[in-house]
Amino acid sequence: MSRSSYLGDDTIALHSGYQPESDHGSRAVPIYQTTSYVFDSVDDASALFNVERGGHIYSRITNPTIAVLEQRLAALEGGSGAICTASGMSALFVTFFSLCSAGDHIVSAAQIYGSTVTLLKHTLKRFDIDCTFVAINDAEALENAIQDNTKLVFCESIGNPGLEASDLPMISSIAHQHGIPLVVDATFATPYLCKPIQHGADVVVHSVTKWIGGHGVAVGGAVIDGGNFDWLASGRFPTLTEPYAPFHGMNFWEEFGPSALAMRIRCESMRDIGAAMSPQNAFLLLQGIETLNLRMQQHVENAKSLITWLQEQDAVAWVNHPDLDHNPSQAVAAALFPKGAGSMLSFGVNGGREAGAAFIDALQLSSNLANVGDSRTLVLHPGSTTHSRLNEDELAAAGISGDLIRVSVGIESIKDIKSDFANGLRAAAKTAEKLAQQG
Amino acid sequence: MYIEVNGQQTFVATGGKTFDARLPTVVLLHGSGLDHRCWALQARWFAFHGFSVFAPDLPGHSLSQGEALTSIEAMGAWLVDALDAAGIEQVHLMGHSQGFLMALEAAPILGDRLLSMMALATAAAIPVNPALIDTAKQNTSKAADMMLQWGFGSNHQYGISAVPGMQPIGIGQRIMANNPLAVDLQACNQYQAGNERAQALRCPVHLVLAKQDRMTPVREGLKLAKLLGISPTVIPNTGHMLPIEAPKESLQTMKSFIQTLN
Ligand SMILES: Cc1ncc(COP(=O)(O)O)c(C=O)c1O
Repeated sequence: MSRSSYLGDDTIALHSGYQPESDHGSRAVPIYQTTSYVFDSVDDASALFNVERGGHIYSRITNPTIAVLEQRLAALEGGSGAICTASGMSALFVTFFSLCSAGDHIVSAAQIYGSTVTLLKHTLKRFDIDCTFVAINDAEALENAIQDNTKLVFCESIGNPGLEASDLPMISSIAHQHGIPLVVDATFATPYLCKPIQHGADVVVHSVTKWIGGHGVAVGGAVIDGGNFDWLASGRFPTLTEPYAPFHGMNFWEEFGPSALAMRIRCESMRDIGAAMSPQNAFLLLQGIETLNLRMQQHVENAKSLITWLQEQDAVAWVNHPDLDHNPSQAVAAALFPKGAGSMLSFGVNGGREAGAAFIDALQLSSNLANVGDSRTLVLHPGSTTHSRLNEDELAAAGISGDLIRVSVGIESIKDIKSDFANGLRAAAKTAEKLAQQG
Repeated sequence: MYIEVNGQQTFVATGGKTFDARLPTVVLLHGSGLDHRCWALQARWFAFHGFSVFAPDLPGHSLSQGEALTSIEAMGAWLVDALDAAGIEQVHLMGHSQGFLMALEAAPILGDRLLSMMALATAAAIPVNPALIDTAKQNTSKAADMMLQWGFGSNHQYGISAVPGMQPIGIGQRIMANNPLAVDLQACNQYQAGNERAQALRCPVHLVLAKQDRMTPVREGLKLAKLLGISPTVIPNTGHMLPIEAPKESLQTMKSFIQTLN
């Protein structure tokens, strides 16, 4: 097993990447709210610019507070290094950008976050990087989609909106047979529930905006380099195995080996694209990560309890979660997410789109908004918000039914979540009744 | 760069500059199961400050082809072959752990070609626990974990890194798990000639030790220093993976030593 720390996960979450003695004994990680760093001497400055030594030059590229978060995430996921970015989307962008060039191709799971679809389908296309979308757990479809110019396979550990767990060992094994890496967006699971690198993933991406931060106060992203992929043997990655002119012809594979990808992102993307996280946000996200494991336990426990309760309610037409028997990926979820497959669930109310809207409007505790992974319970009715412009057929094609309500289960007292939902279901039932009377 | 040594493709890191055999050459020798990357934060300084750098991956390690060498004596002889293949005349040898033992064996063959010697986190003998060797034979990855848990000092166990954002234990794990660690450890364990070779050295020598070293404990390093009649540099808060854990302090000592020679 590839690891990068011999501490337990609860200890890593609290301590990894920081020791107090170098910072006036400050027990908490200090916020280095600075753009730049004074050099000891001209020689020291040139050593830093020439990568002769590690250290900080400018906070677009590295910052000591952000470095603690990066090292902590790398340790939690068991990777060789991590790069934090301004958002989850920029983490995905710099990953694709570092591995692909014009003329290249990506194979992606079809069921992924909407903005990631746009990035792969439209934005990268402008740079002549193509993408084929497949049902990711269909081995044959995956195999058939891989081309000579394919540079990576991409999926989310739990796909969105269908909430299907991705069969990472199967997907990575097919990718590796073709000499290409598997990139996994593990936002919905966090390393507490599943560490994709242990199941064959080569790169892990997070929107740390979500459960990792947990408090809904800071947007951020991270790329974790798994460190196991042999970029040279693959022969498909000139960005990592051929000289890079801006750094005296540096060859990232020869120079850094297992951290070649992370270092390429640092030296190229952070410098030239500059989607840097702010030190203040890194600090806030570190506060979140300290309690990640405890919060995830409660997220998962609440989700399980709410699922059971929802299944018993007359007003509820159906419930979906990867752990449920009728979810097509239930066996995969049981194998890869033994503690539970996350706290995202969806359900439908009798009465369709209008009843769904009535449910949402009647809630008080739960927040109706476009985010997931907050400590508070969040709900969204895509049919009347994000996807309101689509007709029923178009909704179905997107894997969304008109009655679908998406829930990111929070860590409030479960009795209060249920009571809030009971109010919502009463309102939904009334609307459904009215609709039935209208015929 | 890649050179051919005894018919095998051999990778040699040169610190980011084209190798020039006319410049004074600093040879950087990695330890058991590792490769040239343990010198990432020293090699470039030398290469950009008037030296040529020659940091090879031993046969069968990382980017070099061939079978791993089974004795320190064979490694010493191989090093001289490698230097000859690259057309290098005089050298400064710097070795970490097993790399220093190998340098000791190359010394009598090199004779006057050897200008100086620097030893980092090492001793005249490196006995290895037989249980670790057995584990390495059966499961390299597990043995690498044992080595890294012992090898890195306390700060690095808490995820500290000289390179922002990276996890040196994670990087070391991947390198060691894929290299012939068992062969290296056995070679170290069998090597007996260290004291004799050290006593015979005629060139300037310096020794840098790591206070928290549990693989080659400081007391063993101090014995070697006494034998050589030198006063070693001891770096605090650092374990056996000295060039990686304390790159700045290691480089400072290496620089100062080589600059005092002229
Ligand atoms: C699975 C997933 N990946 C990536 C993102 C994008 O992250 P961010 O909003 O931090 O850019 C999101 C946001 O909702 C997400 O749910």
